[in-house]
Amino acid sequence: MATVYRLSTAIFWLLVALAGGVALFAPAPPEAPAVSPATRGVTPAELAAHATEEDCWMAIRGGVYDVSAYLPEHPTRPQVVLPWCGREATEAYATKLRGRPHSPEADRLLETWRIGSLAAP
Amino acid sequence: MSRAGLPPEPGRLAPVRALAAPMVALAGMLLPVAWAFPAGLPFLRAAGIVVAWAGGGLLLASLLMMVREVRLAAALGGLERMTRWHHYSGMAAYLLLLLHPLLLAAEAVRVTPAGAWQLLAPGLSPGAGDVAVWLGWAALLCLMVGLAATFSAGLAWRYWRWLHALLGLGTVLGFAHVQWLGIGLGAVLGGVVAGVLLLWRLLRIDAGTAARPAVVRAVRTVAEGTVEITLAPLARSLAVLPGQFVLVAFLSGPRYRGCGEFHPFTVSGHDPDGALRIGVKALGDCTRRMQSLVSGVAARVHGPFGDFMAGRPECPQFWVAGGIGITPFLAVLREGRLTQAVRLLYLFRGGREAGWLDELQALAAADPLLTLTVRETGPRPPPVDALLPEAATLRGCACYLCGPPGLLGALEAALRARGVPAAEIHFERFDFR
Repeated sequence: MATVYRLSTAIFWLLVALAGGVALFAPAPPEAPAVSPATRGVTPAELAAHATEEDCWMAIRGGVYDVSAYLPEHPTRPQVVLPWCGREATEAYATKLRGRPHSPEADRLLETWRIGSLAAP
Repeated sequence: MSRAGLPPEPGRLAPVRALAAPMVALAGMLLPVAWAFPAGLPFLRAAGIVVAWAGGGLLLASLLMMVREVRLAAALGGLERMTRWHHYSGMAAYLLLLLHPLLLAAEAVRVTPAGAWQLLAPGLSPGAGDVAVWLGWAALLCLMVGLAATFSAGLAWRYWRWLHALLGLGTVLGFAHVQWLGIGLGAVLGGVVAGVLLLWRLLRIDAGTAARPAVVRAVRTVAEGTVEITLAPLARSLAVLPGQFVLVAFLSGPRYRGCGEFHPFTVSGHDPDGALRIGVKALGDCTRRMQSLVSGVAARVHGPFGDFMAGRPECPQFWVAGGIGITPFLAVLREGRLTQAVRLLYLFRGGREAGWLDELQALAAADPLLTLTVRETGPRPPPVDALLPEAATLRGCACYLCGPPGLLGALEAALRARGVPAAEIHFERFDFR
């Protein structure tokens, strides 16, 4: 068992080092094209019609985002995010876990899913 | 004496008890996976989540199997089996939890080549820094260091036990990592179970609240570096069968500074008034200190455990004792006359290391069914082949072995080579680290 421990631990650190090496030497990804904010108005009623795992829109800080394609990639389990589909989710987004906001990277990623702005009812 | 809760036969565990420990490990692995099985995620990400829950569950199973309660040990096939599955579950959990970040990183590579590193080291990547991930790293490092200590055979016990405890801390940090990811129910359940098991072990076993109070009634030097200690119960006495062992801690008093740690000792005798006798050989710091024990010292006794000599078959028997390994056989012989022919081979290194020799010779002289052979082997491991009887005389014999691990291994191999079936070779290992 000691041999299994030593071998597995050594392989683990080798793979972690490999990931670090790839990040160090890999060419920088091209800048993401600026996303022009969509200006289409989305009413709360229309927003509420997209409240499923397959079709999930959220309103965050005035913008409306179709995050359906991203949900499977989200780090937490779907159950954490799904209740916010079809709803105003600014507060949930701003207080991700224990009151912490999402990272700037998450903000940038979010913009790629923008489909419009929240309109008055 | 009551036999309640004790197994009927050594080496022939009922299938339910033989499978109990592996079943607990399997359930520990599968239940959380079934609850948290991720549907609809990319394969590598799903696999990364599955191995994490399986590893977390196995850690809980491993924690359960370090709780040395008498009834739990009996239900799970004995303390030795529990300890073995404590090791297996812990090691399997470690391997799965090593895979967890690697699989998630492999999925991240699909998005961008640098994605794996961004996932593994978010704090070092611009604009990130996820407490959950760092908690995961802290948990994994605790497991890594704890296991490194576990496999350090030469590490002193006082350091070993604290470093080994990092495995418990790693488990708790692991569930904190889950909590920080927002998976509240799983984290709370896992954390509570881990906390309860750790507290159970700490309070009931390590602090000795599960043990019964006793006092040292007598201490007798029986060989060089070996004493026999008589422990009189201060509460209800333990129901101990010959061949069983107890965990004993000696406390500090005016004339003795006890280690306060529980160590396993085979019971060498059980007096009619409930007093237990244990043989203690100076093998480490704590047992060396026990050589200077005096009557009146307070102790705590937990057990009994084991089924080494229980349910012996109605056939001739061959017993081999190496050094202090004579104690379970002595306990049987002290109980009364034998009902089957027994050949007892008592091996000792030399000098004055053979304890209870006069008493054993007197017992052999008084019981025609007992044949005692005493052999001095010298400081090196003995050539066991030359010490064992011919294969023909072992046919139909049940063999019982007790001694240091190296000797046990050599004896078992030599007996198997003489055609003794594995089911007829009984021994118990006392390595509970």
